Amino acid sequence: MASNSAQDWMNQWQVLAQRYWDGWKSQGVMPPNGFGKPDANAPWQAALDQWTQLFGQSAQQSDLVDRVAANAKSYVGLMQSLLNTALGQEGGGSAMAWTEALRNGFNVPGMDPALWNNPLGAGFRDLAGQGAKGFEQLMAEFGRGAAGPFRQELLANLGMPAFGLAREHQERWQQLGAALVDYQEQTNRYNALILKASQQGFDRFQSKLAEREEPGRQLDSVRAVYDLWIDAAEEAYADIALSEEFRKAYGAMVNAQMRVRSLIQTEVEQQTRQLGMPTRSELKGVEKSVQELRRHLKAQQESAAADLSGEIAALRAEVAALKRELAGVKPAAKPETARPAVAKSTEAAARPAAASKKTKR
Amino acid sequence: MGPIRIEPQKALDEALKLQQKLSAGTQTLRSLDPVTFGVTPKEAVYRDDKVTLYRFKGTKAPTAKTPLLICYALVNTPYMVDLQDDRSMVKNLLALGQDVYLVDWGYPDGSDKYLTLDDYINGYLRRCVDFLRKSHDVDAINLLGICQGGAFSLCFSAIYPEKVRNLVTMVTPVDFHTPDNMLSHWVRELDVDLFVDTLGNVPADLMNYCYLTLKPLRLNQQKYVGLVDILDNKTELENFLRMEKWIFDSPDQAGEAFRQFIKDFYQGNKLLKGGLRIGDKAVDLKNVTAPVLNIFAEQDHLVPPAASRALQGAVGSGDYSQIAFKGGHIGIYVSGRAQREVPPAIHDWLAKRS
Repeated sequence: MASNSAQDWMNQWQVLAQRYWDGWKSQGVMPPNGFGKPDANAPWQAALDQWTQLFGQSAQQSDLVDRVAANAKSYVGLMQSLLNTALGQEGGGSAMAWTEALRNGFNVPGMDPALWNNPLGAGFRDLAGQGAKGFEQLMAEFGRGAAGPFRQELLANLGMPAFGLAREHQERWQQLGAALVDYQEQTNRYNALILKASQQGFDRFQSKLAEREEPGRQLDSVRAVYDLWIDAAEEAYADIALSEEFRKAYGAMVNAQMRVRSLIQTEVEQQTRQLGMPTRSELKGVEKSVQELRRHLKAQQESAAADLSGEIAALRAEVAALKRELAGVKPAAKPETARPAVAKSTEAAARPAAASKKTKR
Repeated sequence: MGPIRIEPQKALDEALKLQQKLSAGTQTLRSLDPVTFGVTPKEAVYRDDKVTLYRFKGTKAPTAKTPLLICYALVNTPYMVDLQDDRSMVKNLLALGQDVYLVDWGYPDGSDKYLTLDDYINGYLRRCVDFLRKSHDVDAINLLGICQGGAFSLCFSAIYPEKVRNLVTMVTPVDFHTPDNMLSHWVRELDVDLFVDTLGNVPADLMNYCYLTLKPLRLNQQKYVGLVDILDNKTELENFLRMEKWIFDSPDQAGEAFRQFIKDFYQGNKLLKGGLRIGDKAVDLKNVTAPVLNIFAEQDHLVPPAASRALQGAVGSGDYSQIAFKGGHIGIYVSGRAQREVPPAIHDWLAKRS
């Protein structure tokens, strides 16, 4: 923002905002409060929300629209933050100041404070599909109960011995509780590494920006700044993701989640069995048998087909031999009996195709 | 001097452009037709459970005498090789005279969770190859394996060397333990028995989530910010959506096959190190005696080039060639450069060995 004053810039920003909403008003959309003011409460993000609403809930491209809007929000957040910084610095800010601006750009008002300064973490949360929601919600519920002062009490209870008629059930529930606690711990360990990758991404971005301070290498567009940030963040993430620590944390988290899922399946199975419904284990047993039968059937079919084609080849060879004999000079030659001829052609039967093939190489 | 110098007018122009693109997008997005892929006409010539062997039909009769069978990975559908009319490796190979077939593995469901690598390689793939050998009256066919399908093709060529005349591998992992292989790094500590016993078949969404987290910001944010640039271009938007559909329209993975692939290939690295068995058959890459063309992508984040390069010296063939393509794991099929370079390279290499 080298050539204009802060006030000039502010004026132009307002004009742009006006132009933006002139377009939308023609489609019956009214601007949110504060739109067009750089210091307002994320007005561009609010505008993107309005944009998505234009498509309604039933639009074929609604998921695409949501994704465009979600990511464009990050982008305009960066744009807004850079502009605010530019207004304050008249274009002369250091790499550190711009990095701080970038960091602020990702901390969109209303987002989970746990994800502040952690764009990678926020990205991962957005990435989870609908299929993962049920399990994530379950874990969130559990996490609230298992956190803070109740944690030690919970752990102590999970180690209590079980007695009486329901002791087997209680032990299973205790195992499930312990698995949930472990999963939460492993998830925290993993999330800590994601946060570390985010922080290192900002550090790397700052280094990359410092390289751009040389004359002729300055970034001259918001998109260029954004792309440089992506490069920096991905490099930092790759470094962490390829580390020994991440490998162990990742494996431990996935394994812990599978233990929880497995124990939940066991509980569901207990309930369905009591209701007289078929269980997962029973179905797996059937599926395994079906697959074994399928294999057996195919093997038999192939074997039978091989036998049949072998027999056909043997008969063909026999007919050919008879034809040769009939067409031969010695008309009185005695024909071979059928059985020996079939037996004789056993070798041909083993490789019938090869014997009769014309090579087409 | 600071590192960022954005002229006010340019910043305004960027914001204005964003606004215009979004505005145009409200119209374009509503006007799109449902996207599909797999454009070249094809005929199902053989079926085996959920597996279908297709023969593609070109505009002219094939001149090649030996059929070329494409063996794709189990992850994703195989139509990346025939995505759209102007991005189709299949169409280009047909135009060059190849007789192109493709194994479509189908979408496994719960009843397929006990399918093993033995079922896939010694079963389905072998029967497809035998069908082609018989129908074309040839001893051996040309096999083109892609990604995991390339690993399958290597196993097949090692077990049945007499059935493979020429082998082409594309973006195929051979050494699963190169230091830059992020996927391999992550699954090394995975308790795959617990994983498969719990999940049964491995859901496609889970696989795709894992792939996205290899480059989370580039694949899940930057890509969609970039999408704003083409919101006013129906054709480009349809191309984008077609690719998007291909990426996320993926089959689940049969649990047992997944279990063995992770254990033996990713964790044990047995394809390269040795000791791999598919069913009751040992796999020794030294038994791959057919001529081999190995094509890999220099910017491949799923199968790093080093993982593919390891094939050199590992196979028993005395006729080994390799091509390093300037592009990524997907670009090697769909980029403009790929259309110009890859099919002719495959065709020329095969023609010299026909």
